[in-house]
Amino acid sequence: MSDILRLLALMGRNRGAMALAVLLALVATLSGILLMAVSGWFIASMALAGAAGATMNYFTPGAIIRALAIARTAGRYGERVSSHEATFRVLAGLRRWFYDALEPLAPARLAGAASGDVLARIRNDIERLELVFLRLLSPVVVAVLATTVVTAVLALYDGAVALCVLLLLLAAGAALPCWAARSGASPSRDQQAVTAGMKELLVDRFDGLADLKLAGLETALTARLAALDDRQLAAEARLARLQGLSLAGVGLAANLSALAVLVLAIPLVTSARLAPAELPMLVLLAVASFDAVAPLPLAAQSLAGTLASARRLFALVDQPAAVTDPPRPVPMPAASDLVFADVSFRYRADGPLVLSALDLDLRERRRIALVGETGAGKSSVAHLAMRFWNPCVGEIRLGGVSVDRLPLDACRRRIAVAPQHPHLFAATVRDNLRLGRPEATDAEIEAAARAAQIHDVVSAMPKGYATFVGARGHLLSGGEARRLSVARALLKDAPILILDEPTEGLDAETAARLMEGVLVAARDRSILLVTHRPAGLDAMDEIVVLEGGRVADRGRFRDLSRAGGPLAAFHSRLGDRPDPT
Amino acid sequence: MADTARLEGFLKSQRSLARRPLRIAVGAGVGAGLLTIVQAWLVASILADVLFGKADLAAVSDRLVLLPPVFLARAVLAYVGETAAVAAGAEVRRGLRARLLDHVLALGPARLAGHDTGALATTVTDGVDAVQSYYARYLPAAALTATVPVAMLAAVVPYDWLAALVFVVTAPLIPVFMILIGAGAEKLSQRQWSALVRMSGHLLDVIQGLTTLKLFDAGRREAEVVSAMAEGYRRDTMAVLRLAFLSSLALEFLATVSIAMVAVLVGFRLLWGDLAFFNGMFVLLLAPELYAPLRALGTHYHARMEAIGAAGELVELLATTAPVRDGDRRRPGTAGPPRIRFDDVSVAFPDGRTGLTGLSFDVAPGERIALVGPSGAGKTTVLGLVSGFLAPTAGCILVDGVPLEELDALAWRRRIAALPQRPHIFRASVEENIAMTDGTRDDAGAVRESVTVAARNARAYDLVARLPQGFDTLIGDGGAGLSGGEAQRVALARAFHRDPAVVLLDEPTAHLDRATEAALTGAIDCLLAGRTSLTIAHRLETVRAADRILVLDGGRLVATGRHDELVAAGGLYARLAGGEAGRAAAGGAR
Repeated sequence: MSDILRLLALMGRNRGAMALAVLLALVATLSGILLMAVSGWFIASMALAGAAGATMNYFTPGAIIRALAIARTAGRYGERVSSHEATFRVLAGLRRWFYDALEPLAPARLAGAASGDVLARIRNDIERLELVFLRLLSPVVVAVLATTVVTAVLALYDGAVALCVLLLLLAAGAALPCWAARSGASPSRDQQAVTAGMKELLVDRFDGLADLKLAGLETALTARLAALDDRQLAAEARLARLQGLSLAGVGLAANLSALAVLVLAIPLVTSARLAPAELPMLVLLAVASFDAVAPLPLAAQSLAGTLASARRLFALVDQPAAVTDPPRPVPMPAASDLVFADVSFRYRADGPLVLSALDLDLRERRRIALVGETGAGKSSVAHLAMRFWNPCVGEIRLGGVSVDRLPLDACRRRIAVAPQHPHLFAATVRDNLRLGRPEATDAEIEAAARAAQIHDVVSAMPKGYATFVGARGHLLSGGEARRLSVARALLKDAPILILDEPTEGLDAETAARLMEGVLVAARDRSILLVTHRPAGLDAMDEIVVLEGGRVADRGRFRDLSRAGGPLAAFHSRLGDRPDPT
Repeated sequence: MADTARLEGFLKSQRSLARRPLRIAVGAGVGAGLLTIVQAWLVASILADVLFGKADLAAVSDRLVLLPPVFLARAVLAYVGETAAVAAGAEVRRGLRARLLDHVLALGPARLAGHDTGALATTVTDGVDAVQSYYARYLPAAALTATVPVAMLAAVVPYDWLAALVFVVTAPLIPVFMILIGAGAEKLSQRQWSALVRMSGHLLDVIQGLTTLKLFDAGRREAEVVSAMAEGYRRDTMAVLRLAFLSSLALEFLATVSIAMVAVLVGFRLLWGDLAFFNGMFVLLLAPELYAPLRALGTHYHARMEAIGAAGELVELLATTAPVRDGDRRRPGTAGPPRIRFDDVSVAFPDGRTGLTGLSFDVAPGERIALVGPSGAGKTTVLGLVSGFLAPTAGCILVDGVPLEELDALAWRRRIAALPQRPHIFRASVEENIAMTDGTRDDAGAVRESVTVAARNARAYDLVARLPQGFDTLIGDGGAGLSGGEAQRVALARAFHRDPAVVLLDEPTAHLDRATEAALTGAIDCLLAGRTSLTIAHRLETVRAADRILVLDGGRLVATGRHDELVAAGGLYARLAGGEAGRAAAGGAR
């Protein structure tokens, strides 16, 4: 129930337009019902007058019939346009609302969500909410009001007729929907779940199409999709049977109402308590009134699925972000010294410590390298600096101020990161680079690309910087993607530069040139280099060797390589001397 | 955009998938229509007798008792028609979705590299769903329009030919108006669909790259883009709907005016005594029913538009031709590590890039080849050719003397294990990711055993043991995060598990630190022993372990030989090997 109220509150953003749509729907529905009734009366009266050789005023009823016909047709059109306009405006707004809630959650709170599933939420689940207004809210209001009016009109002629029709209307408009809602709950939820499951499956498998084909898993995927399809179609078949029964049920109720009116009213006509012309009028009024309740069972049977969609949206949106802005942030300090003081960190409360008691002093223009084995926690340092997570223990300071007192966005603007797994967007090379600095000129872009040793590669592409890189940059090699990511970080005008494995997948010559180019381009910035390769290490002010999240050794390149400590051991494996193994 | 006639032709050709349920749906509709005539006749006759024959309840009870069975029969037919119509749409969707997926799989990664995953997934899911109503609603409605009103007309003629004349003149106007107003609607609908597909592709890209956006302070900027796209999609949707509603309006108006005309004609003749009440009432009760199928067609005309819009995307995807159709290739291969020969192979990409030019080389069974060259030299293209994801534009690749394009592709790929630089870790358990059975095997115990062996071989066992649920831990998109090196080791275990004859490696140790690399070098040695292998190499250890090095530059083979020979010869290789090779050479000499 609270979910429904919350949905209605979201819909309420367009209250005026929605109210207008309901009003127009009511006008159209009532006009349609009255049109039938008045027409029945008119024809019978004309016939009776003709048979009696009497005259009658046919202008007034004729005018009423014309007015009702116009009101019905125009009202229906107006209702459709205004209700859809209002609903789709709300939906477009909801997509923005969902994105706004999603953005602060990345990456810490989205770690457990498959991207295809998130796509299904913002695309399909939001779309399904259109049913709430178009098929549920407005029809219910219209049905209640129309039933009241019809019953009141019938009661003017005969209480028993009114009661009978009311009972049938309640059967079709309340009992039948309740039954449909219950019976439809499981298949409509199933339908919703399969829609999302299909997206999740296909996005994952299409992203890994090469690995999938090499493993010969085509038939397995085909079978999986077919199984989902079967589940979907089974759910839809159940819903179709329900819909068929509802349709038949409403029709039956309408026809029974005609029968009931005939049976109850014919004796009234016989005993002259009812004018003969009013008999067809009442019959047609009763039958037509079922138009008002006809949409309800269908809406009811998909209610559970719609609510499941709503809950999926709320579930994501309601998650608290891992790191939030302080309630009263202090102004940003002028300096950009980045300090880690005794920082310990784990990703999950039950997980292992990936960093323990780390001290780092990245003063302005200083250059520090973090080296260590896979899984030594090097990349977590970048995550903490960007404030994607908070440390469990210890403090990170920027310009001497603890970062949790500073505004998030401003902190992030101080740091440029070339991450270990760079994401390239399905856009051109230029657009991907411009993400670093939207207002960058072509010359600036080119300079960054030159420093990252990617300019020549890009220039050799048929369309140069306008070359499309493909989904996730798949048209580029791993080394090219990495260099673009470094160029993008260089473009971002931030005093601190964090490079996470910038030379991975590059040959030795290109790796050395890239480090050279980056060090020149970033000569005025502080640099935190995360690496396990030798390129650029000798240009660092300090090298911190991490082992299992702890600092195993630190110092200058020259001192450390001589000392026979961890770096020396590590360093020997870096290829300075042939590997003893 | 494809033209409407072609798209509708495509939709119609899918009808054969659902012939039977369509027939049932139309049959039920016709039956219900005929019963409506009976019902109108009964009701009119009862009213006539009561109003003019002064009949009481008992006098009309013979017809009153007939009404409930008619109602019941109509209800049953309504139910049968509805379920059959939905079943028709379901059958078509099932067939179409399977066909699209087959096509996507046949196109393969190389041909689809330019496609957004999100757009592709949307076309295969939502795009196929959107054609449902064409078969469930539009086609039955079109068939009923051609039959039910005719039957009703025939029933009306004996009782009131003038009303029948009105029907004959006005009813055909409705489809004419529908077509006139609907002209151009299909184009709008196609635009709406491509907007939807584009939006989905973009949204997935944004979701997957959200962290990167935040790194560049672009998360909020992107909100504006999402907003604008959602707004654009809304506008496109409303443009289609407005037109659909307008055409409904015209149809309803026409129907209403026609019914009013009939009512006026009937009414005045009743007043003048020219028409019996029964006749007038019967005609009047039937009039709305006669226009009902036409009005329904108008309503479902939107279903046709939507289906045509979605069909545009479907047809476009199906029209992308696969480079090599896997199913056309039949020849079984030999067993054991094969000899692979490139004979004057050239590859030109559709976007104008040249991949390879006249490449010829020979790999002996069990030989280890290292591919070396600068970025864009064509190394990855060579691996793509061997796996069959790419086809040469000229020249020929021979496997044990048989042209690759004649080999049974699935059987050939079963003999290959590939370890790319960025292996895809599927959203599944570690075990599934290594065994790559995707639920196709049910001997769980045996699988766990072989997976454990493979993980040990790949030095991945300890890392798996550290995960919260061991081999059952969910990894991949949305699963437990693996570092690049960890993913690489899972993929290596995957390669071991396949027990391949051919191994394709793309710098397998790129993500690893030297300690892990040292451990892995031994493992990879094991993997390569007795297998034909091609390795893209950036690192010294990898290169030195190779039997032969092929140096590529700009899609051509520029040198070949062993490490020492190539270093001694100077040239591109010596430069690429650069500091690392130089130091190593010096160290080795010391």
